[in-house]
Amino acid sequence: MNNTAELRTQIKRLLVENLMLQSTPEEITDNLPLFGPGGLGLDSVDALQLVVALDKNYGLKIPDPEAAKKVLQSVNTIVAALEERLSADPR
Amino acid sequence: MSLRVILITGANGGLGRATAQAFLQASRDNHVWLGVNTRREQADKLAGENTGRCFCVSLDVTRPESWKPAVAEILARHQRLDVLVNNAGSHQDGFLAMMPPDSWQRVLATNLNGVFHGCQAVLPTMISQRSGRIVNVASLSALLAPAGQTNYAAAKAGVVALTRSLAKEVARIGITVNAVCPGYVDTEALAVMGDAERRRALEQIPMRRFGRPDEIAAAIHFLACAEAGYITGSALKIDGGIF
Repeated sequence: MNNTAELRTQIKRLLVENLMLQSTPEEITDNLPLFGPGGLGLDSVDALQLVVALDKNYGLKIPDPEAAKKVLQSVNTIVAALEERLSADPR
Repeated sequence: MSLRVILITGANGGLGRATAQAFLQASRDNHVWLGVNTRREQADKLAGENTGRCFCVSLDVTRPESWKPAVAEILARHQRLDVLVNNAGSHQDGFLAMMPPDSWQRVLATNLNGVFHGCQAVLPTMISQRSGRIVNVASLSALLAPAGQTNYAAAKAGVVALTRSLAKEVARIGITVNAVCPGYVDTEALAVMGDAERRRALEQIPMRRFGRPDEIAAAIHFLACAEAGYITGSALKIDGGIF
């Protein structure tokens, strides 16, 4: 499994465990919208927990609602933000 | 019962110390951090009397950059933070028409902004833990809005509103947020009142006595305990029956 695929799996697990979702990680597709109808159905409190979990586990800072809107669209957008952060600061 | 870590701001004052003592006496598992700013002699004494489970930490509640190292110091030692008591406060009474803008700003900064910065500093930890208790010390002035206290009453009313709003934001994550609204309490703030003013104050209190710091501390301790787990967004007045 390459790094991107591994990150996707980790993020799906993080979503399920931190937000206590009824879905399994396998049921969350890479481009499934996290918010709104037809998606995972997360709300603003879930977003708050997600922001804290991404900072705690990956050091990814999401500084404002605009950035959150961009990063927290799907598993793929979260992974892209993580990879961008890792390439800027490979430690 | 396992380790519980409690941070109390404004801990050099009478109410802060009484609150610290309530937690220290309730359980040997409670570890209490006393947030202190310019005055710390009483807090240092209390920490010295409870070595190993009571500590002082420098904290200017009005500055977010002061909260960061204070919380980091607590987490470095315990890896958790269970209770925040936002107790630090100050007042500079006077009629609004003659109030220097600086007096307004200072009172808002300590009493309201300090609570905001404190909640913001501890919430990431409490959200990660999926548990936490925040107790904000407001005032009966928030509800009565007496003349001569536009700054203090506005700040404390803001604390009550912040408490209710934040309680809704974090309820699902296992964090409760409550406020206490003490009336006249026999602390340093009351000691500066003249005899005539004290008599007038006592006449307003149906119980005809001032509250004791330990009576307020008991309520704060209760709101932070496991049994109060279903109470959130409340503003508990403790005033001898004034309102």
